[in-house]
Amino acid sequence: MELTDADLLARVLVDGDQHAFGELVRRHQSPVRGLLRQLTRADVELADDLAQETFIRAYKNIRSFRGEAKFSTWLYRIAYNVFRDQARKRKELVGIDEAQWQSQADPQTADPGLRHDLMNALNSLPLHERSAIVLCCQNGLSHDEAARVLEIPLGTVKTNVLRGREKLKKILAAWGP
Amino acid sequence: MNELPQTEDWLDKQLREEAPYIDDSGFTGRVMKQLPRRHSLRTQRAIIILTATIVSVVIAYFGSGEGWFVREALVRAATLPPLTVFGFVIACGLLLIVGGLWAALTRIRDPIA
Repeated sequence: MELTDADLLARVLVDGDQHAFGELVRRHQSPVRGLLRQLTRADVELADDLAQETFIRAYKNIRSFRGEAKFSTWLYRIAYNVFRDQARKRKELVGIDEAQWQSQADPQTADPGLRHDLMNALNSLPLHERSAIVLCCQNGLSHDEAARVLEIPLGTVKTNVLRGREKLKKILAAWGP
Repeated sequence: MNELPQTEDWLDKQLREEAPYIDDSGFTGRVMKQLPRRHSLRTQRAIIILTATIVSVVIAYFGSGEGWFVREALVRAATLPPLTVFGFVIACGLLLIVGGLWAALTRIRDPIA
């Protein structure tokens, strides 16, 4: 019988069971690492460091998880905060790196494969649109859940998703017939 | 030039497919090694119960005239007929066996250990 996330959380909270927390890490490592890879623009090493920090922060603050949202949503929120803290340190949020990346990510010079182009197009989006697209369209979160993760109003998430999708379609349409 | 899918949601489909499963490859192990060590609540509970028991015994010992009733009980037990002592030992053994069996049969197998 496979234990649910709630069962494992109860074990961690009541018994301090680290094996149970390990099982939670095993279950959620892929989507959390995937999200951070997208946010860090496929910097695998940095993304994995941030993912480790995410799970350690989750373990330290596990008592603050009240079960109002899904455990995965709570983890995404921590992951986004960890990324944001790190990005602040690297000045990514001021836009210098964003502009730099956008000039590098010219679709005309990229690999012609749709998959590669999609990644390139996604990476060319500004952070607020990229994170909304990754959470909603890639990780299957509702707009409401994404708003909680990103700590922004629901309407802003919807706008960011809409604008991001429009830009992706526009960038990828350039490769069409 | 690439051929793009014609359906409206081709972008969502592509994005979902862009999120493949990432193999653990020792990631969980690395996280577990970095977790802060802390006493489990079971250990804390055991320490509290043991300490409370020892304190209670010490208080009871000195509060009862240094355990005269224990000495009295031992003297009485020494004067019991051998058959009664034998019966008492057998009863204690049976009680232990029943307790052990109950613990073994009701133990839930841990699927994540």
